[in-house]
Amino acid sequence: MGSHVMDNVVAMTGSRPVFGTGERANKLKSTRFGSKLVNDYWNGVFAAKEEGKKVVWYNGTYIPPFFHSHDLVWVHGEAWSAMLAARHQEVGAQARGDQRGYDRELCSYARTHIGQMLIEMDKARAEGGAALEDPRMEAMMKLPPPDMIVNAYPYCSSGQQWDDITYRVFGKKVPMFTIQIPLLWGGRSDAGYMQGEEWHQRSRYVADQLIELTRFLEANTGRKFDFDRLSDTMGYIKKAAELRLEGMEMCKARPAPASFFDWIVSIAPMSFLPGDQNIVDYFQGVKEEITQRLLAGEGAVKNEKYRLFFDGMMNWNKVGWLADKFAQVNACVVAGRYTHMSFWQEPQLIDLKDPILGMAQNYLVCPNNHGAPIMIGEIEKHCDYYEIDGVVCHASRTCRGMTNSQFLIAGSAKKYGRQAMFFEGDVADESFYKDELLNVRLEAMVEAMEAKRRAA
Amino acid sequence: MSPAFASMKRAAEQPMQYAADWKARTGRKVVGLLPMHFPGELAHAAGCLPVVLQDDAEPVTVGQANVFNFYCGLNRSLIDQTMRGNFDGLDAIMFGDHCVQLLGTADVIRAERPSLPILFNQLCTTLDANWALRETLGTFEQLWKELEDLTGHEITTSSTLASIRLFNRSRAQMRRLYEMRRRGEIAISGRDMQTVVKSSMVMDRAEHVALMDELFAALPRQVGSSSDITVYLSGHMCHAPKPAIIDAIEESGARVVNDDLYVGWRFIHADMDESLPPIEAMARWYLDKNRKLPCPTRTMQGIDWEDYLLGEVERSQARGLIVLMVKFCEPHMYFYPEIKEAFDRAGIPHLLIETEHEEMPMEALKTRIETFVEIAKRRADSKAA
Ligand code: SF4
Ligand code: SF4
Repeated sequence: MGSHVMDNVVAMTGSRPVFGTGERANKLKSTRFGSKLVNDYWNGVFAAKEEGKKVVWYNGTYIPPFFHSHDLVWVHGEAWSAMLAARHQEVGAQARGDQRGYDRELCSYARTHIGQMLIEMDKARAEGGAALEDPRMEAMMKLPPPDMIVNAYPYCSSGQQWDDITYRVFGKKVPMFTIQIPLLWGGRSDAGYMQGEEWHQRSRYVADQLIELTRFLEANTGRKFDFDRLSDTMGYIKKAAELRLEGMEMCKARPAPASFFDWIVSIAPMSFLPGDQNIVDYFQGVKEEITQRLLAGEGAVKNEKYRLFFDGMMNWNKVGWLADKFAQVNACVVAGRYTHMSFWQEPQLIDLKDPILGMAQNYLVCPNNHGAPIMIGEIEKHCDYYEIDGVVCHASRTCRGMTNSQFLIAGSAKKYGRQAMFFEGDVADESFYKDELLNVRLEAMVEAMEAKRRAA
Repeated sequence: MSPAFASMKRAAEQPMQYAADWKARTGRKVVGLLPMHFPGELAHAAGCLPVVLQDDAEPVTVGQANVFNFYCGLNRSLIDQTMRGNFDGLDAIMFGDHCVQLLGTADVIRAERPSLPILFNQLCTTLDANWALRETLGTFEQLWKELEDLTGHEITTSSTLASIRLFNRSRAQMRRLYEMRRRGEIAISGRDMQTVVKSSMVMDRAEHVALMDELFAALPRQVGSSSDITVYLSGHMCHAPKPAIIDAIEESGARVVNDDLYVGWRFIHADMDESLPPIEAMARWYLDKNRKLPCPTRTMQGIDWEDYLLGEVERSQARGLIVLMVKFCEPHMYFYPEIKEAFDRAGIPHLLIETEHEEMPMEALKTRIETFVEIAKRRADSKAA
């Protein structure tokens, strides 16, 4: 998977599930600053063409520092789809995709994004009868059309195909650059997390491609790439990443002062917002609030009784809903594969004097870019650290990138005496979510955790 | 049925049984290959029997505990077969592909059979990148070494060249059969064509080549019924469509003249250059594949599957296109709308059939195919008039 991100989720009024204690999640207040940042970012995107900026559409991992350092505006396909889904505005785009014949079993991020592109095209054609080349076309589209497409997808093959369709929708004219972020299969005898021959070889391979990316950007803008600026940008990102990890580690406390859902809304700042002082301020604020809660003994879930790990891609239609759902059974989802194992997860690897290799390595450690044994070993470490009672797997219907190893993950949870459960849903297609199933399984899991505790 | 064909049929229907017999007979190793871009030549040069792992006809039962039902039939079947012990005779699996579902399957196999080596070497996915050749050469060099470790002896350049020649010869034979069918010189059913290609994927190549020679000698030269409407089959990138579906198409008055199926033309269309050093021949074979027959799992600018299909339908004088789409196959789902629109624009009748691993409602399918054949006939008649 790549970095699938969104703006801060506004809790939907009236969308609270009637379930359990009726308690609601005690969300961090400091994450609200992220909403402003995200809004500013999208406004910048929408104004890009007026400001004479070139626009890159990209999918996959967190490569915006390259765009930021080269004064480009960037649009992340997954972020766009996730945002539409979080705002419950995805249906129209998906219907347009259906109409063109995209099967509903296809990645709903891709379907939503492609559907949206088609709608924009329809609009432009209907309003102005404009051809793609017509300069009026740009003004009519909300999302500025791409001047370049960059694909940098770890693990999931869907990303490259999705970008190829984007390339086609825009008339096969937009220059496209594809970075291969290869899977770390971990089959050789010296393989381990961030070690072994494969790790070093693959790190170099991705780093070389990132250098090629800078040449691609130079060739398509006629400007020299500024590596010093990349280092500056990465300085902010590294700092923000460190603050984020420090904040996460503090959630080992009982009750955990922040939950997985707070970290979910903190993905955008870490994943695609500009690398500047704002993101440092954002994570500084988050960390401070966590510190205060820690001192006050305040938890993200009132009466935290159980601690859970969330596996799988986020269900963006249901962020607030799910946060409340778990709070209602006194369960705090403390950590997750998606939040805690990705997005500049290893900032110490980044050498600010020459950041590219460390950047490549951070892209490679995307949470499912490892073969299952190493990836699951990392999940187990998180579960041990946060003293997790149970693992909840979101079987996101159209995302094989994140569902691939879930049976093995559930198996490892059980092996170490943790409960495990699945619930159905999807990243951006609400129709796959079954609330009743989640209720029944969650209740059963809570009972099992309770029984285990009584027996202990 | 000729004895040669009967042997092919046995191997195609029971590939793991064939492999077990071969192993007992030769004492050598059997290497399973996951589709679809990995050359069997190297494993052959190492003295192994490369067997392209196939789905089987059994419904998925025990495998359900290890794979979601929204994965394609091939993946679910491979996992099910692993758990049923079907692959226990394998000495290793070779694997280099990029379909996300197959990555998950390989991990499940590794978890279920930890002692079975999986030689994973991911191929470069951007075929036109300026580093693609360098990377691909590196991948095959790595695999070369791993196969040497597996077998415990050196793979020589000359044995690799010999394997390349043998595989080229085998592909050329099958292409000749295709050509004869296209020209209407022989009446070979789609089901039998599938048997020929599938058996080549799982048999000792030298044996298959000999059987093909026998088959050619025994083939009755006859022309397909002229009242049949000619169709082209496209899709099924990783495994064979159920023969019953092809039967249903042919029983509806259509005659298959060509295809781009994996267990079909896709598997045999391209040879390796025998004049190059073997590693380079393999790398170039892989990197050039999309120019010859575009594959939706390997995107390449300027190469369009739909254009290829339009051209091939015309070249084989097919009157319609039948798309066989594996349910849950993402690469195919992305590109189907491109094909649909191109064929709509060209006014060529086309039919989408979504195939499932489990039982399919064949009666309803037959009705749809019959209607399609009627439309294609009418279109062909009005064109002729
Ligand atoms: S299937 Fe999942 S990992 Fe793959 S592109 Fe879609 S959302 Fe990303
Ligand atoms: S390419 Fe399609 S048929 Fe092949 S393994 Fe992937 S999903 Fe299955």
